[in-house]
Amino acid sequence: MQQFFQQLVNGLTIGSIYALVALGYTMVYGILKMINFAHGELFMIGSFLAFTLIVSVGLMNIIPSPMVGLLIVFLFVACLVAILGVLLERTAYRPLRRSTRLAPLVSALGASIFLQNAIMLIYGGGYLVFPENLVPNINWNIGGVNIGLMRVLILFLSLSLMAALYLLVQKTRLGAAMRACSLDHDTARLMGINVDRIIALVFIIGPALGAIAGIMVGLYYRQINFTMGWAYGLRAFTAAILGGIGNIPGAMVGGLLLGVFETIGAGYVSAAWKDAISFLILILILILRPTGLLGERVAEKV
Amino acid sequence: MMKKLLTIGLVLVLALLVASCGQSQQQAPKAEETIKIGVQGPISGDWALEGQGFVNAVTLLAEQVNAKGGLLGKKIEIIQGDDKGDPKEASLVAQKMVSSKVIAVLGAYNSSATEPASGIYNEAKILHITPSSTATKLTEKGYKLFFRTCFLDDRQGLFAADFITGTLGKKKVALIHDNTTYAKGLADWTKKYLEEKGATVVFNDAITPKEKDFTSTLTKVKSLDPEVIYFTGYFSEGGLLVRQARELGIKAIFMAGDANNNPDFVKNAGVQAAKGAIITTLPMPKDLPYNEAKQFIADYKAKYGKDPESIWTLTEADAFRLVVEAIEKTKSTDPVKLAEYLHTQLKDFPGITGPINYDEKGDRKGAGHTAYVIDEKGEFVLYKK
Repeated sequence: MQQFFQQLVNGLTIGSIYALVALGYTMVYGILKMINFAHGELFMIGSFLAFTLIVSVGLMNIIPSPMVGLLIVFLFVACLVAILGVLLERTAYRPLRRSTRLAPLVSALGASIFLQNAIMLIYGGGYLVFPENLVPNINWNIGGVNIGLMRVLILFLSLSLMAALYLLVQKTRLGAAMRACSLDHDTARLMGINVDRIIALVFIIGPALGAIAGIMVGLYYRQINFTMGWAYGLRAFTAAILGGIGNIPGAMVGGLLLGVFETIGAGYVSAAWKDAISFLILILILILRPTGLLGERVAEKV
Repeated sequence: MMKKLLTIGLVLVLALLVASCGQSQQQAPKAEETIKIGVQGPISGDWALEGQGFVNAVTLLAEQVNAKGGLLGKKIEIIQGDDKGDPKEASLVAQKMVSSKVIAVLGAYNSSATEPASGIYNEAKILHITPSSTATKLTEKGYKLFFRTCFLDDRQGLFAADFITGTLGKKKVALIHDNTTYAKGLADWTKKYLEEKGATVVFNDAITPKEKDFTSTLTKVKSLDPEVIYFTGYFSEGGLLVRQARELGIKAIFMAGDANNNPDFVKNAGVQAAKGAIITTLPMPKDLPYNEAKQFIADYKAKYGKDPESIWTLTEADAFRLVVEAIEKTKSTDPVKLAEYLHTQLKDFPGITGPINYDEKGDRKGAGHTAYVIDEKGEFVLYKK
């Protein structure tokens, strides 16, 4: 039982990262009905920018308090990546908005390859390692379950960000505008909503959340390289589908569930089979509920 | 007067011609009296340092032999062949070697270059010794004239099993690999030798390379309570594994294979977690305990002003020393006789990288591996009990 709870904690840590990244996929899909394949790359760029700030600029030495330093890293990098997200939308997606559905998809793949290679050329192809002890190495043992401070931070930060996003979408006028856009662009425009601005907003929030996830991966695992966006992006995309793509709480539930499936699969069957197991569960869920766990049946538009 | 001068001139020219003819006639047999030995390796390209190390090592030793009067009264001549580590180039180099009538070729560096060359040398009956190609299949082809001075991957497994059961005195082991041919092979060999020595392998499974979170696998390992965890994959995962293991409160000794012999292992893990981790690997040149090694490294440094490039520079030197030994003992330069000598009569030859003995396939017997432990400063130091 102790082992089970430990695996649950392991799974929730991994899953909350998936969930944060999955939000970016699901929000873009909800509004534009397209999959932003470059989102994993934005996540990866977040961790690289944090690396530059911490190691190359030496921000932590300039700012005396590590708490304040990390806060600045998070805010600054999230802003930079959000700007990058908006730029991406302007250059790669907006010109293609009125074309076939396939064109922006191909454009997204192209953007993904471009960003990945740009990072490889700038930072090199090898692993980069974050310095030790940015976050104090504190461990708790609660009834035989080991939890480190960084894991608590990851869980806490992702869950509160997700809660904030949920409130934004469900309880504010801006959120109502976003929901309206996801239902129908033209009608939303008739109601006086500036659809382009809502789309830009989505491309600010999604990449910023992705960047925060990227920084947390950098801080916790301390090892980053230019291909990591692909591995995490694929899982997060899967998590978004699992929860019902286009549905914000679905992405959160999907991410956490996928993380738990993976660790349970690795812990109780075999680590080599864990991906096979989690994807098998995904297929079963999609057979039973084609729109994902929380996805609602949407009238076919095309 | 003019006529006389002309005659003298003609005679002089003739005399010179005759003299030069005589000289060239003298030179021709002399050139054939050298013993030609080929060095094949990536002298340029990505692994240029290794290839240049080969050339440096062999040139140094050949000069030493020649200074003492050569072999069987003949000087040794080195023929270089640059294969750039590329299989296609390797075949071309091999054909060039065959037409320059070498008796032995020492190389190539990587297995994929050694493989095509070895077929050509086998057909031409040329002694072929690779210092560094560890692919098992190279010695599975039944080539009688093919040898290597490096150890096969299974020897590391043998060493690890000996080390765990003997030096550490532990019986309960968890093996983690990453499903690559190399890492899985090493894990499987280690399991085989561990079980032969009466230890139990409680876990033998793969993690997914390029992932960052191995806590689920480690939690499972923790519940099985092993005394030693041996990871056979690469340093990028090795460093993360040891740190996450310590974070989960796993107290077992952490060991890792030679792909973790890299400073980045410590960087990934952090000094605190890496401290006490044990790495099985071939020794670094400076840590070889043999007198031959100390002598060779000192000579190498005196001639080139730097340490040997890697352990493969030393195994290349050993390959050359083996050929010299075989020629001296058999009083022959016939490659077939030399190979027969290496197969049947060579016993505990004092190599730079330790005693050398061959089995019937041309693989080196024993294990040349050693264990390093990471100290509190994050440095790799030789393990002492």
